[in-house]
Amino acid sequence: MMTDFWDKNDLPKGNTVLIEGPLRSGHKIDYDGNVVVMGDVNAGAEVRATGHIIIFGALRGMVHSGAQGDIHAKVLALMLFPTQLRIADHITCPPQGYEEIAGKAPEVAQITGGKVVIEQLIV
Amino acid sequence: MGEVIVITSGKGGVGKTTTTANLGTALAMMGKRTVLLDTDIGLRNLDVVMGLENRIVFNLVDVAENRCRLNQAMIKDKKLDTLSLIPAAQTRDKTAITEAQMEKIARTLKKDFDYVLIDCPAGIEQGFKNAVAGADRALVVTTPEISAVRDADRVIGLLEAAGLPHPEVIINRVRFDMVRRGEMMGIDDIIDILAVELIGIVADDEDIVISTNKGEPIAKNQLSAAGKSFRDVARRLAGENVPFQDVGGGRSLWRKVCAVFNR
Ligand SMILES: Nc1ncnc2c1ncn2[C@@H]1O[C@H](COP(=O)(O)OP(=O)(O)O)[C@@H](O)[C@H]1O
Ligand SMILES: [Mg+2]
Repeated sequence: MMTDFWDKNDLPKGNTVLIEGPLRSGHKIDYDGNVVVMGDVNAGAEVRATGHIIIFGALRGMVHSGAQGDIHAKVLALMLFPTQLRIADHITCPPQGYEEIAGKAPEVAQITGGKVVIEQLIV
Repeated sequence: MGEVIVITSGKGGVGKTTTTANLGTALAMMGKRTVLLDTDIGLRNLDVVMGLENRIVFNLVDVAENRCRLNQAMIKDKKLDTLSLIPAAQTRDKTAITEAQMEKIARTLKKDFDYVLIDCPAGIEQGFKNAVAGADRALVVTTPEISAVRDADRVIGLLEAAGLPHPEVIINRVRFDMVRRGEMMGIDDIIDILAVELIGIVADDEDIVISTNKGEPIAKNQLSAAGKSFRDVARRLAGENVPFQDVGGGRSLWRKVCAVFNR
């Protein structure tokens, strides 16, 4: 038996959407599932997902993962510098001085100990 | 067959009209048959910037409503015989003309001209839709301010949706001293966000205000750096490879990685 790869028939269907970026100001995504964006999400753009949000680019806009209350949902971006970031019912924005350190490495935002915590992704 | 180019921005006051006047002048100086179309109905001022206000008899709305023929509304430039202007109406509003009428006018004009430059009003409503309707190509003017760049980004999205997928950007009113001090967004920062081609950089220059007030576009002034910047854009529009002056402020390695997917 081969167990080290996924058979595509065993994977759940339609729970993740892949979107080609950049998402520009005024663009809006609202998805029941996970969202992967290839490209930047610019300020003025919004991405909302009931699951995780992964951005292969710079995040400058507004994102909301776990939009229906999933506190385990994450936001991951190559450059994480959102206007505002929400996970479940937590609303945060980058602290002052954050632009000095933002963008040095991919980062992940998640709820840890009841708070949204942003950490560098170890790769 | 000529090319119809719309000059737009989203935000007002960033330099659309100034750019239209100067690019038109520069293209005409290169011998290109060029016509400028002011679509800022109700707030016309391209005629003032060109110093042609006192020659207006008919305007764009008169053409659309068949009160005159297209060439009756065309005003010849004071000096350049390859350049003319079709002014906007001052006493009407943006709903005085439709997208279909604009498309027809643009289609007719490009049979006789190398370049049809459309000066777009601010905003993203009917006036914008009209200005974009007949365009083959779009230039987006922005200044190095966050609000202007944000609006440029919005407009680029709308242009893409309207079937103009590769707008080019002119960054106007750059203050290089402020960029060097880190007090103003740099060229690379702006292009990083907008992820489109750069076609021009114009410095903030009070001589532009002076020349505008005189109705003499600065592109005619061979001694002015801003004039040269506009002439460079005209040459790039015409397909020449004109290098940009080195303005510094490169990107960090990481930002390059981020930009990969956008190009
Ligand atoms: N590079 C520049 N340096 C200095 N002033 C400028 C420059 N570009 C435009 N201006 C001035 O800014 C004002 C607005 O420009 P305008 O072209 O009318 O903008 P828009 O058509 O986008 O509303 C005008 O007074 C113009 O003279
Ligand atoms: Mg104007």
